[in-house]
Amino acid sequence: MSGAFDPELWRRDFPVLKRQVHGKPLVYFDNANTAQKPQVVIDAVEGYYRDYTANVARAVHSLGEQATAAYEGARDKLARFLNAGSRDQLVFTSGTTQAINLVAYSYALPRLQPGDEILVTQMEHHANIVPWQLVAARTGATVKAAPITPEGELMLDRFEAMLTPAVKLAAVAHVSNVIGTVNPVAQIARLCRSRGVPLLVDGSQACPHQRVDLQAIGCDFYAMTGHKLFGPTGTGALWARREHLQAMPPFFGGGEMIRTVSFDGTVFADPPHKFEAGTPNIAGFIGLGAAVDYIEGIGLERIQAYESELLAYATDALLGVPGLRLFGRAAHKAAVLSFLVEGVHAHDLATLLDHEGVAVRSGHHCAHPLMQFFGVPATARASLAFYNTREEVDAFVRALDKVRKLLA
Amino acid sequence: MSAPALYRDIVLEHHRAPRNHGALAGHTHAADGVNALCGDSLRLELRLDAGRIAEYRFRGECCAICTATASLLGERVLGLDAAALAPLQQAFEALLRGEAAAPGLGGLAALGELARYPARRKCAQLAWATLSAALAGQARTTTEKDPA
Repeated sequence: MSGAFDPELWRRDFPVLKRQVHGKPLVYFDNANTAQKPQVVIDAVEGYYRDYTANVARAVHSLGEQATAAYEGARDKLARFLNAGSRDQLVFTSGTTQAINLVAYSYALPRLQPGDEILVTQMEHHANIVPWQLVAARTGATVKAAPITPEGELMLDRFEAMLTPAVKLAAVAHVSNVIGTVNPVAQIARLCRSRGVPLLVDGSQACPHQRVDLQAIGCDFYAMTGHKLFGPTGTGALWARREHLQAMPPFFGGGEMIRTVSFDGTVFADPPHKFEAGTPNIAGFIGLGAAVDYIEGIGLERIQAYESELLAYATDALLGVPGLRLFGRAAHKAAVLSFLVEGVHAHDLATLLDHEGVAVRSGHHCAHPLMQFFGVPATARASLAFYNTREEVDAFVRALDKVRKLLA
Repeated sequence: MSAPALYRDIVLEHHRAPRNHGALAGHTHAADGVNALCGDSLRLELRLDAGRIAEYRFRGECCAICTATASLLGERVLGLDAAALAPLQQAFEALLRGEAAAPGLGGLAALGELARYPARRKCAQLAWATLSAALAGQARTTTEKDPA
């Protein structure tokens, strides 16, 4: 089946991929940072602004009804896409960061006591560390991290041993943004449930690259973002078990999240709207709905199979570069390659690769604890998507070779 | 690779063979410049003699731009009166903003291309900031102010 996957066919849908950078064809390998947008997403956003700009859920005129249908339609699409069970369990947020913060402040903060613990892993993004530290500091709780192996895999036995009665919440990345490790989140969810510990999964890097089935995972909270899923920036969602959403107080107050308001007391709307105060990013979510349709049209299973082949190809190619050190060799990993070349600083790498048209990220990737684990201040990272090709990997490796010869 | 102008020959040459590189026994002034986010770490040691920079040594783990700047800076300031560096630093900052290189900058003028690389300016500024810190008796400095 993967033999039938032709990335050239899909590349045509992404206007930016026709661009040149410094006179060279763009090789966009920064997909874990943000993904490019297909024309259908750009059209959906523009279409809203051009043809039916109106607020949602409060206008009875035609434009308002059309906007509300498109906005809530995006929720239906995303709910099906993630097998969310019910659309009402999907709270729209500005992205993963807001989704995790919502759980930190509305779920964790009222429950945490001095001495309680929040269990994360060594490979988390700062967005899945700092919100927990903030609520821990307010409550006297602490955040502790389960260790990983040198290959970058979570030490599951250690994670299990750390799931003591003091742990009131666990928070784990589905896929590492730095080293691509795919964590066994269904197994982790079973462990957590057997101890009565609610589990949040940070799905930021998973949704664009593999089928996410929330019913099969069995976690309590799942946070995701739209802009890595080929949708607009400023879109994302929190999925949560119904009982949690019922119990959690709203975090933001305002319009659109209430049923009635009086100075004697306010009655909140039901979830998910209880958590969606104010006018949302309507155009963005309509664009996200278009992105979900687009991805479903290709098929995540095909995307995953193709990216897995491309990862194997890129890994072999990179390992052939003299002096290159690859970080993260998990058995099950997404197409993310963090690396350093001996004698070349990550920022020089990124600047010089850019001159060859190759966009990679350099730095700490919002994961200081993971950098500390590997004992480096920064790495360069190539992160691939289904519209990337073997020819681009070849161009990338040729560019790396030039940089190495220039600096090392 | 035809190197982009930022990595012109003089910059690459100072990156590969930095001048005044190493530790300085008997230094009178020293400071660490650390850009933790991007991973540049510079140690600068000086010996001042009657107010003049008599010796200058640096070492550390830095990108090519930072290393070359620290090397070119050493060449430029050796023998100068430490109190007279401010105009030179201002001329360097003007260079990074895209203004024409002042004649007094010497080899440091090679870094003028950084005007086109706002994200990399802090790499070159680290050497200057570390020199200023050492002279001011401040142990540690950074040129990272942007959020990460």
